[in-house]
Amino acid sequence: MDFDFTSLFAFILFGLTIGVVYGIVALGISLIYSGLDIVHFAHGEIYMFGAFFGLVFSEHMGVPYPLAILSAMVCTGLLGIVIERVFYRRLTRAGGGYTVAGMGMIICGFGMSVVLQNIAYLSWGADAEPFPVDLGEPFQFGDISLPKSYGLTAVIALLLMAVLHFFLKKTKIGLAVRAVAANKDIAFLMGINVPLMISLIFGLACALAAAAGVLIGPMQSVQVEMGYLMLMKAFAAAVVGGFGSLPGAIVGGLLVGIFENLGAAYISPNHKDIYAFLLLILVLMVRPSGLFGVEVRVKA
Amino acid sequence: MLKVTGLETGYGRVQILRGLDMEVPQGRIVALLGGNGTGKSTMLRAVSGLIRVWNGQIEFNGERIDNKAPDQIVRRGLIQVTQGKDSYPSMTVEENLKVGAFTRSDKPGVARDLERVYDYFPVLKERRRQLAGTLSGGEVQMLVIGRGLMAAPKMMLLDEPSAALAPKVVLDIFANINRIARSGVTILVVEQNVRMALILASYAYIIRDGRILIEGDADDLMHDENVKMSFLGGTVADSSREYMS
Repeated sequence: MDFDFTSLFAFILFGLTIGVVYGIVALGISLIYSGLDIVHFAHGEIYMFGAFFGLVFSEHMGVPYPLAILSAMVCTGLLGIVIERVFYRRLTRAGGGYTVAGMGMIICGFGMSVVLQNIAYLSWGADAEPFPVDLGEPFQFGDISLPKSYGLTAVIALLLMAVLHFFLKKTKIGLAVRAVAANKDIAFLMGINVPLMISLIFGLACALAAAAGVLIGPMQSVQVEMGYLMLMKAFAAAVVGGFGSLPGAIVGGLLVGIFENLGAAYISPNHKDIYAFLLLILVLMVRPSGLFGVEVRVKA
Repeated sequence: MLKVTGLETGYGRVQILRGLDMEVPQGRIVALLGGNGTGKSTMLRAVSGLIRVWNGQIEFNGERIDNKAPDQIVRRGLIQVTQGKDSYPSMTVEENLKVGAFTRSDKPGVARDLERVYDYFPVLKERRRQLAGTLSGGEVQMLVIGRGLMAAPKMMLLDEPSAALAPKVVLDIFANINRIARSGVTILVVEQNVRMALILASYAYIIRDGRILIEGDADDLMHDENVKMSFLGGTVADSSREYMS
């Protein structure tokens, strides 16, 4: 078989665009992990809700696509804050992460995922809904043509990452968010309203997932079960990068995206979804704490 | 300025403080002394609002603050400076200091206080772009004190500023605590290093089993036989030598 560099480049390019989307979902999972000390298993459903919100805004209400992304992010962020305040708050107060109470948190996440799925099922039905967005002619890179939706996805996802980076590094609230993520007691002693920041972190993470949902919508379709696979891929991305590390989440997402596309292209397209986990296993064998992970934090 | 009466608290069902009374007048340095596990840090956590008060009262500036949220207490001008290991190691020195100023919105004031902290602890200015995790034990203790100052507090609670530091560094840090006090900040310092703390403070309380055991002017305590014996490294041999001579 002739090795064709153009198609290799194309696979990598497609991998990167899908990878940035994994990256922003993984970012949310990592944010929640570092901020709340919990692993959020309902994040895939949050992503699915985001996609549906985007579809409703864009298709049923005629909101322009970029604005639909923004609106979906706001709605999903608020939904996330309500979920955190009403359900998770009571459990995280009793301890998260590796504590015994943290186990309850994990079960609660699974429960929330089932509840959200069924709410979505009742509201929007079980059928996959197409999410047509007409963005015009595809971009041309030499012989490769990249649909506009892919290009737009990459650009918006990168933009979101940049905004998040700026927010965390350059603003006062962002500094407070990092302080809460690093040590809640000390953050409290510095006069930071920790419960409020935790809601903010959770809302932000949900908004990121929603953006991913609306971006993926036009490439695939929007359906109730879409969350599960995204959750798994994003987890793989977060773990590959080093759980809790934000740059790691992004790099992990990109790697998963590329690896998956290359695997589908050169090994077998029938098993597209296992490559992410293959990468996960390979990386963990070499670096158990992930690429950007620092030593494992063990909590009492 | 700070008045604690009949304070009872603990963790879970384990009671640590059993009716603690103490008072810190405005503008003074008061020390709370005692060994490990006597309830010193628990007292600070209760005053700062990190743990619930079971019984008793805490008054700050004539206002009840027991069981208020920690951020509310900080906004009233009472800040706790934890031990140096509680910096934010993955943030830079300057970011750490800025977290301290979180409750403030007067930018010129914050900038002025940042300069003040750098004036007190010049080494922090040199290292302001370094991650706090790379600082030495003494430097990181300076950092958390500086971080507390950034809140422009009326009163500071210092949790063992001398812990695990070389004597020379302790001296430097205590000189700066004294300087902070002279600038008008009331200070309660919790210490195991009794001798140093008695030199720094004007009044001291000694805590044991969650109650105040002895209190008095620092000078008097320094010369008190009981205190000497139990806390100043005096031994039975010391006192018997005095007895024999």
